[in-house]
Amino acid sequence: MNKNKDFSKNEAKKLLLLATLSGRIMLKNGAETYRVEDTIERICKSRKGVKYVNAFSTPTGIFVSIEVGEEMLSYIMRIKSTKIDLNKINLVNEFSREFVNSDMSIDEGLKRLREIDKIKDYRPIINYFAGGLSCGFFSLLFQGRLREFLSSFLIGFIVVLIVNKLNKYKMTFFINNFIGATVASLTAILISKIGISQNINTMIIASIMPLVPGVAITNAMRDTISGDFVSGLSRAMEAIFSALAIAFGVGLVLNIYFRGIL
Amino acid sequence: MMEIIKQVLFAFISTVGFSILFTTPKDSIIKASIVGSAGWGIYYITQLIFNNNIISTLFASVSVGIIGELFAKHYKKPATVFIIPGIIPLVPGAGMYYTMLELVEKNYYAAADKGTETFFIAASISIGLIISTTLSTSIKRVKNKN
Repeated sequence: MNKNKDFSKNEAKKLLLLATLSGRIMLKNGAETYRVEDTIERICKSRKGVKYVNAFSTPTGIFVSIEVGEEMLSYIMRIKSTKIDLNKINLVNEFSREFVNSDMSIDEGLKRLREIDKIKDYRPIINYFAGGLSCGFFSLLFQGRLREFLSSFLIGFIVVLIVNKLNKYKMTFFINNFIGATVASLTAILISKIGISQNINTMIIASIMPLVPGVAITNAMRDTISGDFVSGLSRAMEAIFSALAIAFGVGLVLNIYFRGIL
Repeated sequence: MMEIIKQVLFAFISTVGFSILFTTPKDSIIKASIVGSAGWGIYYITQLIFNNNIISTLFASVSVGIIGELFAKHYKKPATVFIIPGIIPLVPGAGMYYTMLELVEKNYYAAADKGTETFFIAASISIGLIISTTLSTSIKRVKNKN
């Protein structure tokens, strides 16, 4: 029904808001920028009466303008604080497909999007265990034995817990990674002092894995390939600086350790 | 042979952990872990053949990208859901660590050696992703034309 009648200005405004909100949820949770732009344009074009739509997005902001009737509307949204939540990207993707292919009213769509935005991710304790699990088994990939497995499990658990707590204070990713890597190497050295395992290398390598910038590398490449060079470059910078933060954190502790202070 | 099976199994469980950390949708955790363990398996086997980290990372990241894109097409989900957890085991955390270790011990030649290798492993992950993404988009384009 909606598809066949022209919009009032108010409805056009709501449509623009809906499209930008869906883009915001995706971008905030670590989607590629071309997917964000594509979703916004699809959502706007799906309703009749929208003559022209164009969206531009970088990892830190969304700019959309649409032409409805005789008027031009535009919307700028600044994005702060990014985290990784693949589930929300997936849900918004499904939502946009459903919205485009059905007669869903805009108010209904806005309601659904707000619900998606509120969904909680896995409970923290599950996250900590997942961190421990991934670190523990990663140590086995590097020729670790049972002792390294158990100690890497413990270190991974602690690192993910601390990074999770630090996220609440909204510090930059640099500080988070730095502190995470410092804690990982400190705990590894502590464990070797207690005498559970002497293999510090394997333990530290395994327990910095939850911090490495895999998402930034992947998104940087996917953005660059699709022609978004600004986003690609800024995400590559993020990857480089995350790696540097981890290296500094580990290097600091090792430096102190080799001087015999610890 | 036993060693390969063990490595693939460990990589599988490791990727389950990473998928939960990135809040992969519940129904995709196992699929993403299959992508990750396949990538690590190919990394391990090609490393036995070529004895070179850079080349085997390239092979592994190409296959992670391709399997991820195939899964994304089949299950109608964004490709990153499968690719991101799958690519993490390949990221050169070990290389970063050893570079730093050599720097701290003031072995600058060894540090430069390790650092260059780490950089090229990261580059080969990127190139692998570029190859697989470009392949899948061009296949899509050809299919759309027909």
